[in-house]
Amino acid sequence: MRKRIAVIHGPNLNMLGKREVGIYGGKTMEDINATVAAEALKLDVTVEFYQSNTEGELVTFIQQCRGRVDGILLNAGAYTHYSVALRDAISAAQVPTVEAHISNIYKREAFRHISMIAPVCIGQICGFGAFSYIVGLRALIEDRLDPWLV
Amino acid sequence: MKKNFLVISGPNLNLLGTRKTSIYGEGSLEDIHRGLQQRAKELNVSVECKQFNSEGAIVDCLQEAPGRFDGVIINAGALAHYSYALRSAIGATLLPCVEVFISNVYAREEEFRHKSVIAPVCVGVISGFGKKSYLLALDALVNLTEV
Repeated sequence: MRKRIAVIHGPNLNMLGKREVGIYGGKTMEDINATVAAEALKLDVTVEFYQSNTEGELVTFIQQCRGRVDGILLNAGAYTHYSVALRDAISAAQVPTVEAHISNIYKREAFRHISMIAPVCIGQICGFGAFSYIVGLRALIEDRLDPWLV
Repeated sequence: MKKNFLVISGPNLNLLGTRKTSIYGEGSLEDIHRGLQQRAKELNVSVECKQFNSEGAIVDCLQEAPGRFDGVIINAGALAHYSYALRSAIGATLLPCVEVFISNVYAREEEFRHKSVIAPVCVGVISGFGKKSYLLALDALVNLTEV
């Protein structure tokens, strides 16, 4: 059966392409979703997209991923750096989760150098612009990336 | 012309597959290098893979990289957490550099592993995907140098 991946965008990511394009690039969230959907087609997986500015709504959505999706690709935006609730939701969901960021958070303000959610995710990808999402999707599902298979 | 990328692995990565396999997995560094060569072929680029235990040797290698390579993938191992010499050397190359880790460094117990001193001079960081981290870094670097 086809794997199902939830792509979740946190606060302010609906403003992509419209704010601070120097940091986040000129692509809108819809552009990114279209690119991710095209990649998903290539990798033969189903993707669904969700965005919310509200921490509680993100918590609820992640909770509801449990048993329903095979992986989560999450850009939690600023909540990354302080939301213990989001971290607990990821743990509770028991779904493999990959953390993605558009910018290299380690080049930015000190408060962005800490991710509350990183310890409960499989791994983290940051700094590659919209391509971070593509890398994240491949990390979640592309089996042929396993060099032990070559 | 074909893009050429340098892949550097730091101290103790030559021991992959022989120590702490619950964290680092069972395959060897040679397996990773084989995987990278295969991926490079698919992406129509070249990679040159090197491993050093000595900090100074990595600095030397990075200093010689400009003009020969179009980008760098680095798993600095433990040096990631304290080597300012490496940080300066990466900065000096002016080449796009991607930092990789096999393990999710943020999930590990030792707090000293939660901070990388080289991350701020790299384009981006990929951590936690086992040996896949290297292959994903190559994807990212190729994408980066294409646009």
